[in-house]
Amino acid sequence: MPRLLIFLLALLVVGPALLGCSKPETDALRFGISSAPINLDPRFATDAASSRINRLLYQRLVDFDDAYLAKPALASWQALTPVHYRFQLINQQPEFHDGAALTTADIKATYDSVLDPDTASPHLAGFNMIDAIEIIDDRSIDFHLNKPDPLFPGRLVIGIMPAKLLVTDHPFNRHPIGSGPFQFVDWPEEGRLQLQRLNDKQTFEFIAVKNPTVRVLKLLRGEIDMLQNNLPSELVGYLAEQEEINLIKSPGSSFTYLGFNMQDEDTGNLNLRRAIAYALDRDAIIKYVMGDAATPANALLPPDHWAGNSDLLPYLHDPDKARLLLKQAGYVDGKRAQIIYKTSSDPFRIRLATVIQQQLSEVGIDVDLRSYDWGTFYGDIKAGRFQMFSLSWVGIKTPDIFRYVFHSEYIPPNGANRGHYSDIQADELIDAAEAELTLPQQAKYYAQLQAHLLQQLPYVPLWYEDHLFAARKEINGYTLARDGNYDGVIHVRRD
Amino acid sequence: MIQFLFSRLASALFVIFGVTCLVFLLLHMVPGDPVEVMLGESSQPADREALRRALGLDQPLLTQFGQYLGNLAQLDLGKSLYSQRPIVDMLLERIPATAQLAVSALIVAVLIAFPLGVLAAVKKGSHWDQSAMGVSLIGVSIPNFLMGPILILVFSLWLGWFPVSGRDGFVSLVLPALTLGTAMAAILSRMVRATLLETLNEDYIRTARAKGLSERLVVWRHAMRNALLPVITLLGLQLGVLLGGAVITEVVFSWPGLGQLTIESIQRRDYPVVQACVLLISLTYVVVNTLTDLVYGWLDPRVRLEGGR
Repeated sequence: MPRLLIFLLALLVVGPALLGCSKPETDALRFGISSAPINLDPRFATDAASSRINRLLYQRLVDFDDAYLAKPALASWQALTPVHYRFQLINQQPEFHDGAALTTADIKATYDSVLDPDTASPHLAGFNMIDAIEIIDDRSIDFHLNKPDPLFPGRLVIGIMPAKLLVTDHPFNRHPIGSGPFQFVDWPEEGRLQLQRLNDKQTFEFIAVKNPTVRVLKLLRGEIDMLQNNLPSELVGYLAEQEEINLIKSPGSSFTYLGFNMQDEDTGNLNLRRAIAYALDRDAIIKYVMGDAATPANALLPPDHWAGNSDLLPYLHDPDKARLLLKQAGYVDGKRAQIIYKTSSDPFRIRLATVIQQQLSEVGIDVDLRSYDWGTFYGDIKAGRFQMFSLSWVGIKTPDIFRYVFHSEYIPPNGANRGHYSDIQADELIDAAEAELTLPQQAKYYAQLQAHLLQQLPYVPLWYEDHLFAARKEINGYTLARDGNYDGVIHVRRD
Repeated sequence: MIQFLFSRLASALFVIFGVTCLVFLLLHMVPGDPVEVMLGESSQPADREALRRALGLDQPLLTQFGQYLGNLAQLDLGKSLYSQRPIVDMLLERIPATAQLAVSALIVAVLIAFPLGVLAAVKKGSHWDQSAMGVSLIGVSIPNFLMGPILILVFSLWLGWFPVSGRDGFVSLVLPALTLGTAMAAILSRMVRATLLETLNEDYIRTARAKGLSERLVVWRHAMRNALLPVITLLGLQLGVLLGGAVITEVVFSWPGLGQLTIESIQRRDYPVVQACVLLISLTYVVVNTLTDLVYGWLDPRVRLEGGR
């Protein structure tokens, strides 16, 4: 028996070596991410991590500026008519990573592939306004639309892929070839993706570490050089105290809100929703629960968005006003409102919900908090099985989200008007905005719409969550993007 | 023996078929739609419909199940709804990591549990016994999600001996194997102690001692061999659990094993991947349990004789 133990001990030492463990890269810059990318083919990528990595691997025709206005990336454009756009390549000789020149044939092939129903791209319906794509020459290409769409240029954000590889069914999902500032090196396992920055041959490794505590410990020990977002506030506070770590924070656009079922007897009552808005102390939640890493929100779009409204007045914390509104809502003689509040089982979301529960309780609203795994929770929300819920809108760039979320024709399954909000004035403002052919005219109507929504409160706006980036002291040059993408790695360096 | 193997194989096929049916039906019954998870909140209804059609999810459940079984009969596990990769490739990537961690954890458990259990049994009632069982109680009481970060804090951050997480060389295996192994060792050492105590009271042990054999030989050669049977059963079951993926430990240490893949696929409602993972896990259980029965025969000739009759 002791011999067996010695054998086992030897096996423990030698076994793993025989089973083959790889050696770590040492000169690479290592970026810790919370979830691994899944699909590096821009026609199919839908998760945030894949989309952010794809921005580094592929170039798009169009990008967005700080006010979320479309700006030229690979190509500039001209609206020849409201249904006819001409795009012209800006760069003299754009090239794919395999050395082939990028021409308008590649642009047409990419969008033709997305539009082909046989490709089964999840982005297909987003381009249903395209009637035809016509190559003018190597550098100019025309898009003909079946209806006017002033937001059209901002929709062309699919990474351009080489036409000759598209016809051969090249496995872009695992071996991407684009024309972006980074090229694919290796993907040895699901959670470790290696890319190379083209201008200085610097290698990067994107390492997925799901557990936030472990991600922070890896940063402290130097096993990763930087990380971004998805950290609970206590870890952010801890990182801020560490001498060897630099922490930067910048405003984000992910919008968190409380949603209501407008068909429900209780939450369909405007006075009750207003009471909730006044009962919430958002500043305290942001300061004490979120570690000051959020900005109070008054509307779905941030105020500096081209279609945003910077004149909206917030519902400031006022418990007395909340109690008065509750009385007006019919809760008199000590009768308390009872609301079921659904949230996901994410620990941080539950903690936030518990604080909201406490704040509402102080003004006379009893909240029955129920948390579910994501699939069940989301299923309930889509099916309208809720009184109140909290969720976030992430990565919203264009104002057509308002139709999708608040127009009475967009109640599920047609859209995401899950609270069954039906308001003639809101519908008219959305229709009027979309009928305008210029963005400034559209912006005027959207500003009115957001003021109306803040008054009617189908959502109680909570906050926009900030983006956080933490890196070791020797890492410099990273800038945080408004939508949380990883473009900062284009200029980051180790000094 | 061959008859025994055939009967095991038949029951194994039945178990696996049952698991396959159950998992397929349960997965499709729980709320949550893979298309919704893939496309996110702001997707268009037409996109969702097109994708549902492309993935074959618009077909009636029975048709989908029939297609799934048909493909399975041809050993075709299909592709992931999400990454569009063949599931076989995904499993083949994960199996080595899981097997490596499972075997290492089992070895750690045996190395800790056997000496601890034997010491506690031989020195029954002494301080040694109390200390050994105290250590085992602590081991079994600390959950892996706490043990993992504690080990990381001490051995990675303070002492700097091992990496925090990931699968980068042999050193990265130590902490996850210790996390899993110590928890298992705690249960195992109690089992070794209990069965060994029982065996040490048997008549043949008294005979062995009366023959003048040394205590070492009595314990390790005579008593241990009989005491091992229930321990082997437990080891077999534990190995099955480990090979199915130790989800919490894999998540804490970013270990790219089957457990993580299963959980991530469940969260995304990536039906084909979940089905394949569960199929593999049930297959592993069946194989490990059959092997455990065979080891029984090797350890105890009486089992072999009964099997042969």
